[in-house]
Amino acid sequence: MNKKNIDNIIELSNDLRWQIGDDFHDNLTESIYADAANIVKGTVRTKDSEKHFRLDSKIDKIVTSKAFGFPIMFLILGTVLWLTIVGANYPSSMLANLLLDTIHPALKSGAESINMPWWLDGFLIDGVYLAIAWVVAVMLPPMAIFFPMFTLLEDFGYLPRVAFNLDSLFKKSGAHGKQALTMSMGFGCNAAGVVATRIIDSPRERLIAIITNNFSLCNGRWPTQILIATIFIGAVVTDSFSSLASLLAVIAIAVLGMAFMFTVSWALSKTVLKGEVSTFNLELPPYRPPRFWKTIYTSLIDRTLIVLWRAVVFAAPAGAVIWLISNIHIGNESMAAWAIHSLDGFGFLLGLNGVILLAYVVAIPANEIVIPTILMLTVLVTGIAGGSGAGVMFELDSMHATGDLLRAGGWTLLTAINLMLFSLLHNPCSTTIYTIYKETKSLKWTIFASVMPVILGFVVTFLVAQFWRLFF
Amino acid sequence: METKIKSACETCAYFNAEGLKKLGINTENFDFVVALAGNPNTGKSTVFNALTGLRQHTGNWPGKTVTRAEGGFEYNTQKYKLVDLPGTYSLLSTSEDEEAARDFILFGKPNVTVIVADANRLERNLNLVLQILEITDKAVLCLNLMDEAKRNNITIDERSLARDLGIPVVPTSARYNKGIPELIQTISEIANGTIVCKPHRIKNVPENIEKAVKTLTAKIEKEFPSIPNSRWIAFRLLEGDAHIINALKSGEFV
Amino acid sequence: MNNYNPITALILFFVITGFLFVLFRPVKGWFWIVKKNFKSNEKIIIEDILKQLYHFENSGNRVDMKTLVQVLDFNNSRIVEAIKKMTINDLIYFESDILKLTEKGREYALKIVRVHRLWERYLADKTGFSKTEWHDRAELMEHQLSYDETERLSAHLGHPKFDPHGDPIPTKTGKMANVNGVELPLLPVNTVGRITHIEDEPEVIYKQILAENIHIGSLIRVTENNPTRIVFLSEGEEFKLAPIVAANLTVAPIEKEVVLEDNIARLSNLKEHENAKIIGISKESRGESRRRLLDLGFVKGADISIDLKNPLGEPNAYLIKGTSIALRKDQAAKILIKKE
Repeated sequence: MNKKNIDNIIELSNDLRWQIGDDFHDNLTESIYADAANIVKGTVRTKDSEKHFRLDSKIDKIVTSKAFGFPIMFLILGTVLWLTIVGANYPSSMLANLLLDTIHPALKSGAESINMPWWLDGFLIDGVYLAIAWVVAVMLPPMAIFFPMFTLLEDFGYLPRVAFNLDSLFKKSGAHGKQALTMSMGFGCNAAGVVATRIIDSPRERLIAIITNNFSLCNGRWPTQILIATIFIGAVVTDSFSSLASLLAVIAIAVLGMAFMFTVSWALSKTVLKGEVSTFNLELPPYRPPRFWKTIYTSLIDRTLIVLWRAVVFAAPAGAVIWLISNIHIGNESMAAWAIHSLDGFGFLLGLNGVILLAYVVAIPANEIVIPTILMLTVLVTGIAGGSGAGVMFELDSMHATGDLLRAGGWTLLTAINLMLFSLLHNPCSTTIYTIYKETKSLKWTIFASVMPVILGFVVTFLVAQFWRLFF
Repeated sequence: METKIKSACETCAYFNAEGLKKLGINTENFDFVVALAGNPNTGKSTVFNALTGLRQHTGNWPGKTVTRAEGGFEYNTQKYKLVDLPGTYSLLSTSEDEEAARDFILFGKPNVTVIVADANRLERNLNLVLQILEITDKAVLCLNLMDEAKRNNITIDERSLARDLGIPVVPTSARYNKGIPELIQTISEIANGTIVCKPHRIKNVPENIEKAVKTLTAKIEKEFPSIPNSRWIAFRLLEGDAHIINALKSGEFV
Repeated sequence: MNNYNPITALILFFVITGFLFVLFRPVKGWFWIVKKNFKSNEKIIIEDILKQLYHFENSGNRVDMKTLVQVLDFNNSRIVEAIKKMTINDLIYFESDILKLTEKGREYALKIVRVHRLWERYLADKTGFSKTEWHDRAELMEHQLSYDETERLSAHLGHPKFDPHGDPIPTKTGKMANVNGVELPLLPVNTVGRITHIEDEPEVIYKQILAENIHIGSLIRVTENNPTRIVFLSEGEEFKLAPIVAANLTVAPIEKEVVLEDNIARLSNLKEHENAKIIGISKESRGESRRRLLDLGFVKGADISIDLKNPLGEPNAYLIKGTSIALRKDQAAKILIKKE
């Protein structure tokens, strides 16, 4: 190979390109399609009865019509979410019963019988095991329900129609219609939502979808919202309306999340992301009857178990950390108590408290363990009777008891509202952060996507707290 | 899983059913590399799964496989490594997917490239097919979704299509495992050199461009006498593809 | 927390955010202004003077010190100093009080113009910045790229001939393609021509042209031309412009007998149940988006019709080569069709 000859070839190509002008790409593509049309003319025959196409277009006419398009969409997505949240209750409590109330004590007594030192037993069983058990119990059932249902809709071909219907809303905030789907997926799990952004092939819109996915309230956060809303918001109104009030509060938070998603998308596309390449096209594939069992199987393997595995990997060290900070003492205070006291001032400014902030710091790996951690830490610093000892996360059987414990820890209605807001607006869990890094391959965007929501959370809770104190 | 429907060929004389072993993700010590290319939403991943026995998720979404999936099968004691390339509409642009697919066919030099096309939308799919045929001459067209085509009353004259394209054409319905044995047989025949392809080259190019392409192709062939896709490289050079220019400079084509 | 008071906290908060806003708000933030001034050194002044002289000379205008000071956004004494230096370095010379470029100065100016137009082309083809930002960004970049970097950029873009406004890009040896055509107001009624250039300065007028959705490369027919307004038909739509705006459009009249057919339109004008054939994609669609449209089969000669209307108005789904593909309105406006 001769380097000079190659340079000559490249030089020649530059000259030729200059001669044939800027239309080369257009001309080439047109030639290829002309060839394709010629070949097809000689080989493909279509009989005029296009029954199947007509069925497709009939479905399309309905699901994208002005009258039915949106009601059908809300009905389907709402049903999926409702089935997930309600349907997961039973298996979740069963799993909790098994993992937390049966296996955990059994492990403890087993450790005792072989004379395991208290610190090893605490570290492994109360720390690592409990965190994993909690994540599995809370996370697995909703995901095992949500993902297969979502995947069935996807395989049928309905989801591209949702993107089609909603695109102009997303266009206004500089995003892609397909973000409607990655957002919905985020209601199941943000990490899965971030992976799903692969369907968006425009670089700018994909980054927007990745960064804003965290504003979809994920499965790990729904239970927190529901619990706090039931205890505190439900208590504000008369008993007969309490469940309605708490339901509305949770929905309001989810809708607020969507509002943030749109606003932040818009701001991103107008500022930091305006230079990224943006293209749009949306193919509406034909409907295909999904193969039910195969879909269930692959969605369980591909989505649920992979996400669950990642969550477990991250939850284990978190459990260890939680146990350690509660049991290692500096002077006559545990590290946890020390951290809580130093965070209390800042927490008060935000209408929260040190316990909540610390819980969110140690629970970065998984939102599922926030409430058990908060309860454990509250007992730890207030000295109220309850729980099973320093560093052992727990939940109480009755909401009433939970409410009493939290109120004893100094919680007010403001604390509850701000906790719900902060639960919506804080950094993504570490599984999601890791996934964002894998998908964007950029440290810059990963850090941005992790820090931006926390700052938003600080600002929003701060403002709410100040105005609340001004007026109430 | 649904029960596998036996395809007619699985019992026919020339397909050696005993010689087939699906290897899943075990791709060590392979004899041949097979690339799987095609438009998005043509059931490419379903073909991949049918060949390897894997169960990659295949959504009804254009552009599902972004990461490259690999799998393998063994046929007549020869091992094949199968690489599922991202689904693309074309290889002429510079998106991440297209570059990944193009680079693999160009530099990975697969022994066989299986191009999966949707029989219902052949014209649109031929855009990619014709581009791939400019890069490689060891290819087979897998005409998938034949079941849907039948429902839509579309008939395709496979023999004249094969003649026009200069490569074997295998009709399949990968969802129901139909045509997969024939596909495997064809892959093995191309890999072993029993079938030699004479692929179609893009015609209908405007005269001034064709002239430039010819000048450039002659120069490239003089420098790299054994190169099979000089015309395609000429296309890329005229397009000003910095990626290909760098590859030329660093000698990756030799 | 002894002296905590929600009002103090709020005031403190708003003072801090207000301060950050003043400092970092886009474009006019103090931080950016300071950064920009810090950078505006002698090199930039010299290069801007060269560029202005080049443009003035090309349009046949003569420039004295007074006009130069008026068009440049720099401190007067710094301009005078720069001029002094440029005369010493043989970049410019005076013919009585008229400033002129020497051969060397012209070469230098061409280099700046080259970087500017290449960068605009880069922004148009490879990034998502909006049209209104190209010029200002190129103004900054033209002072920053070295010779080698410019060559690499040009190679990366495939050595393009024209910038996105239709201005020719000088080659590294100073060769330049010609722009055909005259300013639109000079064309008599009934002339058929093609828009070959859209001037992007001054910004006010450029924004008006953009708002009208006038596309470079479009065929037009002048239907009215008088001192108050100029009206022309193009791609199935009628455009009315004030002469001062129209003067920023360059149109090359077509000599041959080309019939500007009446049924040519933009895809965005296609109605449901109408069939059409694609004629081509407007030059306004660039870079990745253009390629993607071509790849998807939006090529000359393809049959197209509306498959699905969107409940919210856009995007509509079009049936093309057997597949339903949704495009947004602004994309559809850049695809030209012939209705059947």
